[in-house]
Amino acid sequence: MNIAKDDRYLSILKSVSKPGRYSGGEYGQIIKDKNSVKASFAFCFPDTYEIGMSNLGVRILYGVLNRDPDIRCERVYTPWTDMQEKMREHNIPLFAHESGDPVSSFDIVGFSLQYEMCYTNVLSMLSLSGIPIFASERNEEHPIIIGGGPCAYNAEPVADFFDVFNLGEGEEVLLEFTKMYIEEKEKPGYTKTEFLHKAAREIEGIYVPSFYSVTYKDDGTIEKYTPIYDDIPTKIKKRIIKDLDKVYFPENPVMPYIETVHDRIMLEVARGCIRGCRFCQAGMIYRPVREKSPDVLCRNAKCIYESSGYDEISLTSLSISDYTRIDELTDKLLEFTDPNMISLSLPSLRVDSFTRELMDKVASVRSSSLTFAPEAGTQRMRDVINKNVTEEDLMRAVGVAFEAGKSTVKLYFMMGLPTETDEDIEGIATLATHVIDKYYQMPKEKRKKAPTCTISVACLIPKPFTPFQWEAQDSLEELRRKQELLYASIKDRHVKYNHHDAYVSRLEAVFARGDRRISAAIAKAHERGFCFDAWDEYFNYEGWCEIFDECGLDMSFYANRQFGLDEVLPWDIIDIGVSKEFLIRERNNAYAGKATPSCREKCSGCGANKLGGERTCCPSNK
Amino acid sequence: MLSVEQIKALPMLEAPATVRIMFEKTGTLKFISHLDLQRTFNRCLIRSRLPVWYTKGFNPHAKLVFSLPLSVGCESVCEFVDIKMEREISLSDIKECLSAQFTSEMRIVDIYYPDTKFSDIYYAEYECRITCKNADAGTADEITSFLSTSPLTMLKRSKSGEKEVDIIPFIKKAECKEDNGTLLLSMILMASSSDGSLNPEYPIKAVCDKFSLLQSETEDYYSLMRKNIYSKNMKTFK
Repeated sequence: MNIAKDDRYLSILKSVSKPGRYSGGEYGQIIKDKNSVKASFAFCFPDTYEIGMSNLGVRILYGVLNRDPDIRCERVYTPWTDMQEKMREHNIPLFAHESGDPVSSFDIVGFSLQYEMCYTNVLSMLSLSGIPIFASERNEEHPIIIGGGPCAYNAEPVADFFDVFNLGEGEEVLLEFTKMYIEEKEKPGYTKTEFLHKAAREIEGIYVPSFYSVTYKDDGTIEKYTPIYDDIPTKIKKRIIKDLDKVYFPENPVMPYIETVHDRIMLEVARGCIRGCRFCQAGMIYRPVREKSPDVLCRNAKCIYESSGYDEISLTSLSISDYTRIDELTDKLLEFTDPNMISLSLPSLRVDSFTRELMDKVASVRSSSLTFAPEAGTQRMRDVINKNVTEEDLMRAVGVAFEAGKSTVKLYFMMGLPTETDEDIEGIATLATHVIDKYYQMPKEKRKKAPTCTISVACLIPKPFTPFQWEAQDSLEELRRKQELLYASIKDRHVKYNHHDAYVSRLEAVFARGDRRISAAIAKAHERGFCFDAWDEYFNYEGWCEIFDECGLDMSFYANRQFGLDEVLPWDIIDIGVSKEFLIRERNNAYAGKATPSCREKCSGCGANKLGGERTCCPSNK
Repeated sequence: MLSVEQIKALPMLEAPATVRIMFEKTGTLKFISHLDLQRTFNRCLIRSRLPVWYTKGFNPHAKLVFSLPLSVGCESVCEFVDIKMEREISLSDIKECLSAQFTSEMRIVDIYYPDTKFSDIYYAEYECRITCKNADAGTADEITSFLSTSPLTMLKRSKSGEKEVDIIPFIKKAECKEDNGTLLLSMILMASSSDGSLNPEYPIKAVCDKFSLLQSETEDYYSLMRKNIYSKNMKTFK
């Protein structure tokens, strides 16, 4: 039965907010004949439709799986709380967008884990589907639940809910996994466990958490991980796509009717980042840096434009101005975007590579604001985190922007960094004031209106696979004190200040560095109806504290404890290519206030080059 | 279908020509708001590669003029939008190029050069099918007379705020019949930009409240469809 076409369901849609989230029927969706395929894959994004539809990874994998004639892949998002309530009230199970089939009827159900705060949404989606949340409570009748995305690099807090994880870039792994499933399921005597065992043994990048038992020491730290089979890897190596020019790229996107967060063409120019900022997980887990060629990118852009009707192209990568052939690419793109009235936008610009020329190329007449990320207020602090930009770089960049008629600058910072002093916090306010001063240094006739410098300050979350992975997060009190201190340090009325919620950051730190014992708390939170923790209106810190207490778990053990350098970390069974020795070296450099050159200037021997890759700056590993 | 090259080779017009598209908005598309529909239409036009005339200015965009906005939850078989072409292209070519970009729930009914203005629209006809327990001929008759007896005051929302208004003068015709165990309510309501208009949800809400028709959220429900649009002399608008 197609639930989506059921009159009763349709009548419910009238009484929920934004019904367009659930109505489906988008141009570009792929509808396959159920009888012509051998496996069905429900691709779940554990957040709202508007956010899920904006995710490039989901678009890629949806296309990759559907390109295979044997596989039917459909999309699922987390229904908003009002819809969840209605669905539970009327016994409507969670179903997939394309066919309206219940999620529980699919062979494989995949979750894209983009950020830790979506974990309760995963459980809501499972229970709305009528699927038991714990892997151990599911049987052969239930779909295989697989997770992937950045959180999979330490998925231990949700390991008990998943049958399997895909580590690294999924274009190849997911396909290999699903193809193997098709083959195995047709054999007599098929069991889920035996299939997963074969996948863990034969497919690189496949991690089956239940195949590894964990023991703990008396002090609560991990003693060791032991594989329960001899023939599965003791360390699971992440997968990468070696040649981005050859990998599938979705040229026929599904077109949402309602407005989504990123409603434009997203052109991925590179993976990885040459910089190695010491707090940044993405900068480590996506190594080695690999670039895509301008010709291929232009071809992709033209195809997507013709098949989508989008009138904006956004170039995406972790640091777009580090793309070696940025001038060639933007010149080539402009040849085609200009006559077709397509606007070009660049996110993440680095101040040290920001030029008038680049800005003019992407000048979007509508936007008067520019964003930079100095990340710290003093040079000393920026050296500690290896953000190799100087105040001069920033002043030059904002100067260029102001000269070109911009009057609003947004700056991103972090607080709670290792070795941070009050001077570093006050430095953030000083830097913002200097930006405003820079504006007033311009001749009066060039100043059209009053400038604004918005500073947005996040709290450091020590993330796995970064040089700061062992650091203790500042206590709540300390973070709150620093936030107040910064507020008091801002004297200029042109400076606007906002900061992240310290309570959310704390829980995020717990999940980011958590181990398997955390799953008890997440399950309990789900039982109490917790969902959409990433949304202010639903985040309930006191509720989480109660739950951790009841489960006998200590948040500060995970968030505020300095982890030992020789300690077994929950994510030690994962091999991302970057070695622990490198991370320790970088940590030492941080405490010595010593910057590390970018990958392009000099290889620092992180180890990721062993994974290979085309159009990379890594020395070969022969 | 015309290729991009063929479209580019079409002769330019001296002045852009206005073309009117009549289309349906049905099925789950009823949950898509007017604003979302406009954006979707723009993207369909870009995909179609049609020689659409763009406004000249700082922020060039295709000029789209829609007739009566449809409220969320209502289907329609008579939506209109005017677009401008800057090259000489046949109506059948426009229809073919554009139809290829629409989904089955957004079907093109007709394309022509208009000789009326959207401000000529005066009435809109709606059909509402109510699925509920007390769907009998007696109730149907009572509903018909209920919707023709003045005053029926409701709190009506307008640009200037909420106001108590008698909605009966806005109802040109309302007739309810029992049909296969459901109530079929046909209404012709004012939809004039100058003399006033009435959203069909008002009389439906009045009826459902008065006769307690919607008792259960999933067992009792109604569907709503805009069937036709008229000018002041009750001629079908085109």
